[in-house]
Amino acid sequence: MSSGLPRRIIKETQRLMTEPVSGISAVPDEQNARYFHVHIAGPKDSPFEGGNFKLELFLPEDYPMAAPKVRFVTKIYHPNIDKLGRICLDILKDKWSPALQIRTVLLSIQALLSAPNPDDPLANDVAEQWKMNESKAIETAREWTRVHAH
Amino acid sequence: MGNSCFGKRRRSDSSYGHGNQPNINSMGGDSAGQTWNHVPGYSNLYSDRPQNGIVMVRGSQMFTCDMNHIWNMSVESLILWTLKEIRRLVDSNQDPPLSIIRLNEIGESESGWVKVVQGMISTIPLDDPLGPAVIALLLDECPLPTVETVEKLYDILKPSSALAEEALQYPAKHRNFTCILGCVAGILAGSKSVELLNEDVLEYLLTLLDPRFAREVILFALVALEKFSQTGENKVTICKTSIHQKLLELEKFRDSHETKFREVGFCAQWCLDNILPLEGRTLTYERLSMEQCNVILNDNDVSEYLKISADGLEARSDALSFESVRSTFCVDEGTWYYEVQVLTDGVMQIGWATKQSKFLNHEGVGIGDDEFSFSYDGCRQLYWYSATSRPHDHPQWKPGDIIGFLIDLEKKEMVFSHNGVAFPPVNDVFQSVSSGFFAAASFMSFQQCRFNFGMTPFKFPPKVPFKKFNDYAFLPPEKKVILPRFKKMTVLSSLSISESSCSICCDTEANTKLVPCHHSGLCMECAMQIEQCPLCRVKIKERVSLIPTNPVTDQGDTG
Repeated sequence: MSSGLPRRIIKETQRLMTEPVSGISAVPDEQNARYFHVHIAGPKDSPFEGGNFKLELFLPEDYPMAAPKVRFVTKIYHPNIDKLGRICLDILKDKWSPALQIRTVLLSIQALLSAPNPDDPLANDVAEQWKMNESKAIETAREWTRVHAH
Repeated sequence: MGNSCFGKRRRSDSSYGHGNQPNINSMGGDSAGQTWNHVPGYSNLYSDRPQNGIVMVRGSQMFTCDMNHIWNMSVESLILWTLKEIRRLVDSNQDPPLSIIRLNEIGESESGWVKVVQGMISTIPLDDPLGPAVIALLLDECPLPTVETVEKLYDILKPSSALAEEALQYPAKHRNFTCILGCVAGILAGSKSVELLNEDVLEYLLTLLDPRFAREVILFALVALEKFSQTGENKVTICKTSIHQKLLELEKFRDSHETKFREVGFCAQWCLDNILPLEGRTLTYERLSMEQCNVILNDNDVSEYLKISADGLEARSDALSFESVRSTFCVDEGTWYYEVQVLTDGVMQIGWATKQSKFLNHEGVGIGDDEFSFSYDGCRQLYWYSATSRPHDHPQWKPGDIIGFLIDLEKKEMVFSHNGVAFPPVNDVFQSVSSGFFAAASFMSFQQCRFNFGMTPFKFPPKVPFKKFNDYAFLPPEKKVILPRFKKMTVLSSLSISESSCSICCDTEANTKLVPCHHSGLCMECAMQIEQCPLCRVKIKERVSLIPTNPVTDQGDTG
């Protein structure tokens, strides 16, 4: 965990600053260049629209050979995100590839907000609700977005 | 692992969401959940926990006390109990004291959190070396408060410049409150931290930056302001106040003979150099003469939150994690000695470490927590090797004490001394390594010490012949610089990286092609570490170097 920061991280950080992705901001912590403060805007036409979701992203010692650790800090009602903010996303686990980047990971998370997948749930109760009564679940997700993601 | 209870878990894993314990079983395999896998004691603890709130903990004598007793204790008694028990937590396999679990449970509700915090403010004594560390730990254990919850606390305590005056009379209460503000500012960094730093709180903290208050109060008010400044918007607000004037005043205590004031001076100077630079002020590193100094703490071999002084010889942690550092110089043969003056009396593990020793600050792993390092802990009076401890008979250290570190690489032994009193040699670490030892140290929250590698006379030189690091080491002038953080970031962002470099590490030229998929753009070193093509996931059968194997360079060969 030395502060000699790998060039790969420097390069990604520089690119995130100079070519930001629409609806996503990722800013390195002033004290720790491996820790990013992330904001993702709820995608249009999703129950999360209008919300501004805060996440934290940490690049472990063996990044990019290992995936970044990402977590929602803002509460969110989503079948693939549990109440601790942990995300069920294959590229963060076994489908990680060192060719993926902070940018691509955050884009995937943004896409997950547009397309919840209740068949691969992390939050069981939410997924069940999503399958049994989708319109009610979407209403709850909207409500949570209104209450927590502003 | 010296600090199973301190900083071993990241906040984010333990404390999110009111009223919900993480259910380890249902989270298995999740990426964020992996942190728990490193904490056997904890995962057992929670999975053994039935719904009715009774905790079943096996196999630790510490918990044989009557559980009903714990469950009926007042918040105040639980806090005092924690303070006492935490000192005895010396083994990574030990579970946290029941009192912490109980306090965590109380802190799950909004009113409970306020109660726990109020309890800490009123009970934690000023002189307990682990007091502030326990505050940090308990806040880290409890679920994250919301802004509204913290505001409830404000409603009760009413922070203001007027309240600050009360600190003359009740320093402990205000040291605890400022410590709590700092921790909360740290864990709620971002927009919440902006909401929490209202005008009254800012006035309260600024008023306390005054030498007429107890130094513990000044120190933690300063740390709190520094933590609030981590959020950019707060930094702008704070810079508009009289902060710089006050910091310049407090910086004068940097060389005070009183260790308590030196802590304040260190933090004020560090803040001015790193976080809140003042236009027109020369940065400390620019005005220091480092000519005589040949060894410093290595700014490129340190965990990320440790604060190193501009002269490279003093270090301090105000983070929740277990921060570590190595020196720039290492020894391979002969007998060597260095000294450390401890400036605080809490937990530090100081000693010797080779390059192989790992700093896992978020997991509480530091010097003495693997087989490549050995350390001395004068707070809990322990030696640490391979993450296990054994007691030593030295008295508990006090701020200002000098600890001596002697290593004899021929006899393969280490001797530790406390204010000149040497204790019997130890040799554990030589089972696994025999050379390449750096001076090294790990710091728990709010701990600080100063190294002497022989540039100035030792206080207690050993009676045997020995060598000093400073007489044998060499550092080029550009390596004798501890660059302020904001400067470091600027240097980093101005580095240019060649477009033809490896897309994985960006360190070396891309020079390798993968077979059978024929993807390239990476270097051989990275290619060797993966089994699948990072682009198409096809299994790699062969890695072909694109560097001409026969570098024919006849041109220029005039013979």
